[in-house]
Amino acid sequence: MASPARTPPTDGPFERIRSDAPVTRRDYLRILVTISGGLVVGAGAVAIGVFPRRTGSGGDVRIAEGIAPGETVTFTYPGPDDRAIALRLPGGGLVGYSSICTHLACGVLWEERDEALVCPCHEGRFSAATGAVLAGPPPRPLPVIDLEERDDGVYAVGARVR
Amino acid sequence: MSERDPRLRLRIGAPGPGPGAGGDRDPERAAIAMARIAIVATVVVGQLWALTVALNAYFEERLATVWWLFAFQCVSFLLALGVWLIVPDDR
Repeated sequence: MASPARTPPTDGPFERIRSDAPVTRRDYLRILVTISGGLVVGAGAVAIGVFPRRTGSGGDVRIAEGIAPGETVTFTYPGPDDRAIALRLPGGGLVGYSSICTHLACGVLWEERDEALVCPCHEGRFSAATGAVLAGPPPRPLPVIDLEERDDGVYAVGARVR
Repeated sequence: MSERDPRLRLRIGAPGPGPGAGGDRDPERAAIAMARIAIVATVVVGQLWALTVALNAYFEERLATVWWLFAFQCVSFLLALGVWLIVPDDR
């Protein structure tokens, strides 16, 4: 039995689909104005502080008994979800930073060879001495965690932007 | 949709080109519509830039900058809204 002849794709329905603009210019304008309004709402959310900044004081938190040169300690500060890293530089300085990369919030890792904190996601690099951006896409330095050495250990006492 | 719908460039089953240039009864209207879209699109690009800068300023605790950029966003939106509303019978 012969199969029925197939309709060429340029016939009726195809032409209708091709010739109907799914979005008109008026629709484009309406969509753009809606996006514009949405961006105002987003900017308002930023201004009133919807996003956590991971700075401020979380009280005095004991994070370790001691940290040897080249050694790191990870902890959370100032909030329970705010990952941070403390490290003793080979030269002896004790520093602490938020370990959340300022690019897309991956965790940064200590790289002793270059004395840098490295984000493995997009190869952002931060100075271990200051938290400043050395290379890669991060737009801001790492927030600093203030540390104090006391008789009974190392304490995190505050978090601030550099 | 009928065969006489103006959005159909080609009459179904009819040979030859569609209406082509000159088929528009009010050609200036199309130019104005494109100009309005271009203006609002430019405004939206500016707003996207401002939001990026505002986020950066917020995380660096430069809150005065954040509020200035919020004001910029509001003005930009009002401009976009004005361009949309300025032609009451074409939106």
